[in-house]
Amino acid sequence: MADPLLSVRDLVVEFPTRRGTLRALDRVSFDIMPGEVLGMVGESGAGKSITGAAIIGLIEPPGRVASGEIRLKGERIDNLRPEALRKIRGKRIGMVFQDPLTSLNPLYTVAQQLIETIRTHIDCSEAEARKRAVALLDRVGIPAAARRIDDYPHHFSGGMRQRVVIALALCAEPELVIADEPTTALDVSVQSQIIEVLKDICAERGAAVMLITHDMGVIAETADRVAVLYAGRVAEIGPVREVITEALHPYTRGLMGSIPTLTQESDRLVQIPGAMPRLNAIPQGCAFNPRCDKAFAPCFTDRPELLALEGGRQVACWLHDTAKAQEVPHG
Amino acid sequence: MAEPLLKIEGLTRRFDVSKPWLNRVIERDEKQFLTANADVSFEIAKGETFALVGESGSGKSTIAKMVVGLLPPSAGTITFAGQTIDTSAGIPRSLRRRFQMIFQDPFASLNPRWRVGEIIAEPIRTFGLMNPTDARKEAARLLEVVGLSAGDVNKFPHEFSGGQRQRIAIARALSSKPEFIVCDEPTSALDVSVQAQILNLMRDLQDEFGLTYLLISHDLSVVRHMSSRIGVLYLGRLVEIAQAKKLFTEPQHPYTRMLLDAVPDLALSGRRRRPVEGEIPNPISPPSGCAFHPRCPLVHDRCKREVPLPRPTPIGQAACHALDRVAPAA
Repeated sequence: MADPLLSVRDLVVEFPTRRGTLRALDRVSFDIMPGEVLGMVGESGAGKSITGAAIIGLIEPPGRVASGEIRLKGERIDNLRPEALRKIRGKRIGMVFQDPLTSLNPLYTVAQQLIETIRTHIDCSEAEARKRAVALLDRVGIPAAARRIDDYPHHFSGGMRQRVVIALALCAEPELVIADEPTTALDVSVQSQIIEVLKDICAERGAAVMLITHDMGVIAETADRVAVLYAGRVAEIGPVREVITEALHPYTRGLMGSIPTLTQESDRLVQIPGAMPRLNAIPQGCAFNPRCDKAFAPCFTDRPELLALEGGRQVACWLHDTAKAQEVPHG
Repeated sequence: MAEPLLKIEGLTRRFDVSKPWLNRVIERDEKQFLTANADVSFEIAKGETFALVGESGSGKSTIAKMVVGLLPPSAGTITFAGQTIDTSAGIPRSLRRRFQMIFQDPFASLNPRWRVGEIIAEPIRTFGLMNPTDARKEAARLLEVVGLSAGDVNKFPHEFSGGQRQRIAIARALSSKPEFIVCDEPTSALDVSVQAQILNLMRDLQDEFGLTYLLISHDLSVVRHMSSRIGVLYLGRLVEIAQAKKLFTEPQHPYTRMLLDAVPDLALSGRRRRPVEGEIPNPISPPSGCAFHPRCPLVHDRCKREVPLPRPTPIGQAACHALDRVAPAA
């Protein structure tokens, strides 16, 4: 197998508070291959966005990366100085945020913002940058791009703005695009357009995508592999089809069952009792144990590590640890 | 169908979005109106769940507000249990007890300074249904009905998570023993696993108390799961009403088809989503004729001139000129 483009190992992000230190991410590890779309799912507070922010070094103080490694093409980027990191951010890693209105500057035209970004990262003339910008806007599907490029962000609708943000993220031809809930603020009909554009354009340029979302439908359609986060830990990673149809982790299974679908016939949705624990009250052992119907002795004492299984799947659950699982008489 | 519980005819709501008078005089502008809903008619039978779906700006919530009397309609009538409501005078007190509403955001809909018991008992007190001691007992009982514990009456809303707060909002809605509950995006602010809990609870309560729901949502899979009939709104007009399961297999209106094509599905059917062309137009200056015509693949001249009227279809009704030309869904 090729070397991963991005490799995250045992990443820990902590937020010191008056009442003690909260671990927002607790030893998170995953890889993204070149050109791959990795979906990152989980419920609110699971640590999806923090993972994205940690990779590009945008954790707001007092939060900090307490330990672990982030490597981009083998080179560590988690301990870089701010100036060095700024060269990577935008140039090698592009970012698409949830709300297109707040990620564009309302006081500058789209042209000014795109040209500035292009010239920051690529050595070219203003006219050349403008030509690139127009081509890019055209590519993300903005009609009459040559004319509209001189408009301000408020002239564009939500969907069009998100297209501009995608153009902005891609203008320096990054190797990785982190898209944090890129379609959550949009209507379904527009959402499908944006996902399409993001997917096609990244495939065209060979950019890998880390797609952060809580919408499993979007993941199912877009991602190659998916990582499921729960309470700041990775519960399961695997190819998207397998994870959706035959999830290994009881949490993933519950999560999938709780989503109403357009085709299934069922009267009741599967329901996971309770809610995700708060960061200051994560239970000992497996974080999911109070809600898990299959929990047995080791789940309450030891935290399960990510186990590599066949077919590129990984799961953090004692049920799949053959040595431990023999202790349970489960059926 | 038996006598419908709620009947809405020709409901229209316009908002005045004009500039101030002086600006209009100086800039010689006309008055501007935003038509949030135009000529919306539907019926809800007792015990069913009728859902309204549509994109943002399609007027879903405006209908909900008019139905519960939070907003007077500009035209049209609302009939509840055979009694026509005089909308200019507001909903009469005798009927108001029988309506309740569950809002989208459980962080905004509960008063943070009130204890949960008081919040739940407020409708009981307002309508004078019980004495205060019984009301407190009733609040405790309702908390158990919605899956919380009776001891929670003395807690404050901030002590609960989003899903638990939505349960409290449901308990409050139930306390005046209503027959009809308007649910405006009840699970949009919640995570999927919590959403499943709330949707299951809403169904259980419906069976137990014989409730009728008007469910407003933009999430088609939630709507499909919960409702018996669905109305699809586009730019303030109902474009299609149909039985829930049928709508997803045999959509009649081109907009409904487009919307269904756009929904990402977990089923991994391998079906390539057809991205929709264009976006919802500005409701201040909607397109002439059928409001959907600029995005419609089946558009012809008549669509640009005439507003289509609803006509019956095998699964309900739809408002589209091209209906007889639409090939049945494959």
